[in-house]
Amino acid sequence: MKTERVSEDSLILQITIGLLFPFMLLFGFYIIVNGHYTPGGGFQGGGILASLFIARYVIFPLEDTDSEVLHSLQRVFLAAIMLVPLFFLFTGVVAQYPAWQKHYLTLMDILIGVQVGFGLGVAVLRFAFFQGSGQTWHL
Amino acid sequence: MINSAILVTMCLFALLAIQARLLRNAIIHLAVLSVMAAFLYMRIAAPELAVAEAVIGSGLVTLLYLAALKRNRVYTIGVVGNEKSKHLADPYMHHLMRTRALREIREFFLIREYQLQIVFVPESRAEALQNEAYDLIIEEDDKGIVAYTDEESYIMMELEMLIQMRGAQSQLRFERLQPPAEEQELQDTAGI
Repeated sequence: MKTERVSEDSLILQITIGLLFPFMLLFGFYIIVNGHYTPGGGFQGGGILASLFIARYVIFPLEDTDSEVLHSLQRVFLAAIMLVPLFFLFTGVVAQYPAWQKHYLTLMDILIGVQVGFGLGVAVLRFAFFQGSGQTWHL
Repeated sequence: MINSAILVTMCLFALLAIQARLLRNAIIHLAVLSVMAAFLYMRIAAPELAVAEAVIGSGLVTLLYLAALKRNRVYTIGVVGNEKSKHLADPYMHHLMRTRALREIREFFLIREYQLQIVFVPESRAEALQNEAYDLIIEEDDKGIVAYTDEESYIMMELEMLIQMRGAQSQLRFERLQPPAEEQELQDTAGI
């Protein structure tokens, strides 16, 4: 007789999420890449990418994702989101060559999507693992 | 017409989510509510919002709630049957569920947001006590219901206090066991 166990992990959930995982990843990137002419875009696709992190936590609550690296990557993407429009708009590349507009929008969608995905994922992982343990982190 | 039907269904699921006694059910009802909202956005020609609602509302937020609920625990109560109840496990469980003591226990775990699971144990009491799958063993004898708990289980201490306060101790008695180290000894005396 053991007292106050944490509920065991379910094998059904593990296998199902394991099978769905690549398709969710693909769907997220599909929404991001096609964002400029179909519904969806960077934020929505990023939400799906972030839900992958949470799904993984719900199934295997292991603390092996390096959230420091994700956090740094997310900052790099945030910087790129600010710098890329500066480059494209102020140098007038998009105005000169209208054919580039599509590539510019796709690039921005990808940057926003990855940034939102990593950002929300890191936030959730930090909530999950640092809750109540007295650890803090700097922004 | 269809839009009104969707709106009514949304209200229904919102009420279900409020009235749900288990948090897990409330989360699923909220997810269905979000899917309905996404469908409604689709119908009034706002596909961009529909995608956002489906992704954030029913995907991300549902998973976030489930991750928060992951810290919740499942508590398993094993009911040891006596000689005549072995063949009639289901009616016996129904009879036991209606007793005041079991109702008090269920109320107690519901308030603390534990997922309670009450199962019938076909083995004898000594074997059930050895089994790690049960957190609490309950047995009915001629004087009432006996609950076998671990000595250091603080939840059981809380429950015992509550039962005494409610004045139901004539039905439910607690028997404290030693921690697992001395359990072998107890096993021997129970065998005799």
